[in-house]
Amino acid sequence: MALGSTKKKPIGKTAIFGAVTAILYAAVFAKADMVLQLFTRGGLYAALPIASVFVFSFAHGAFASNLWSVLGIEAVMKQPAKRPTTPAPRPAQRPRPRLRLSL
Amino acid sequence: MHDLAVEGLKFIDLTWINIGFLFVVGFVGGLVSGFIGSGGAFVLTPAMMSLGVPAAVAVASNMCHKFPKAMVGAYKRFKYGQVDLKLGLVMAASATVGVQAGIKIQEMILEKWGEAGSNLYVSLSFVAVLVIVGGYVFYDAWNTSKSSAGDQVSSLALRLQKINLPPMIHFKTANLTISLWFTVPVGFATGLLAATIAVGGFVGVPGMIYVVGASGLISSATELVIAFIMGFGGSVKWAIHGMVDIRLTLIILAGSLLGVQLGAIGTTYVKEHMIKVVMGTIMIIVAVSRGLAVPKYLEELGLVSLAKSTISILDLASFLIMCAALAIGALIILGSMWKNKPAAEPSALPVEEVYERV
Repeated sequence: MALGSTKKKPIGKTAIFGAVTAILYAAVFAKADMVLQLFTRGGLYAALPIASVFVFSFAHGAFASNLWSVLGIEAVMKQPAKRPTTPAPRPAQRPRPRLRLSL
Repeated sequence: MHDLAVEGLKFIDLTWINIGFLFVVGFVGGLVSGFIGSGGAFVLTPAMMSLGVPAAVAVASNMCHKFPKAMVGAYKRFKYGQVDLKLGLVMAASATVGVQAGIKIQEMILEKWGEAGSNLYVSLSFVAVLVIVGGYVFYDAWNTSKSSAGDQVSSLALRLQKINLPPMIHFKTANLTISLWFTVPVGFATGLLAATIAVGGFVGVPGMIYVVGASGLISSATELVIAFIMGFGGSVKWAIHGMVDIRLTLIILAGSLLGVQLGAIGTTYVKEHMIKVVMGTIMIIVAVSRGLAVPKYLEELGLVSLAKSTISILDLASFLIMCAALAIGALIILGSMWKNKPAAEPSALPVEEVYERV
């Protein structure tokens, strides 16, 4: 939605991470029964589903991030507005400079 | 090790309709989570159960998709400078204790009043918390949108921040200093609610806004850190018992990772009170949905008598209204993103136009 941005769109990265994601999904669903049987054994096999979601998150997360950029939907970087909480301490009063006439 | 509990479970056969349905719900749930820090989980578990997935597998598979989604959302919003990591860690630590307390309460109720009693407790907690907290969030968002002063720190939070009760903690990103003893109850309540209705964020985010004094933007982003930590712990526990159906997890994750990043981007487009508008709206609609489930549990406990057809109509209406809550939340997010979409940069204007201006 950041329309007309001149920034180069990450088409290459999107394609690479998209392909990696597709391969990962194909690998799991091609042998879904075997994977399901292995991943639901419990105990130390618990590491398999946990590790898998991390790997998928990295590949698919990177793909999704780049995909939105390619589609022109990017964040508007702005600092979150600072809200008034407690009044800021006032600086100590200094004596005002006075003009002296030296004769 | 093969867990005996798994032997009795049935893992469903997937059809293209099931896959499409879970992907879409995952996307919408992710969009809402990325924007308000929580949500989606309350629809996904019943949605999976409606496809025939056993309750334990539905909860486990949902949780296993929730923590990586929260991780990606938190990372994205951290890059936008919206996450207060220290606040997230303090909240998550106290929430972990709250979860344990919530589980104990559930076990006590289950032992005393059985499954119907436990379901009734969950539904009543849903209705009470969501009506009170959601109603206040919505009222506050409405007032903020009407006034020109913008988002203000609540008077309760301001009063608590002035109380010097060691240890005092400074939260840099949230830009506030408050005693640890005022953040702990908020985290505890988040965990307690997470163990009861599976959506701790419905108390966590308003708690951080109105009790701790963080902004809606910071609170919703920080909630993702809490969701990641708690979701990770829960997922490991479920996976050790072999309850995670990785196929369901990965399908939902496929949709939710797209949605959560869009939701996170959305927070940079809209005015801050929109987070409260979306959260309040969803909470009130979900309260109505859970309210419709109460008569069924009262009937199961023998407190009222209802026809079977009435119960099934109420059940269906409850599920549909819950889906509507998520859909309406997503529509508000997408609508406000579209309305506030950034204008074209001047450098992107056609060259002739630029020359004309010079």
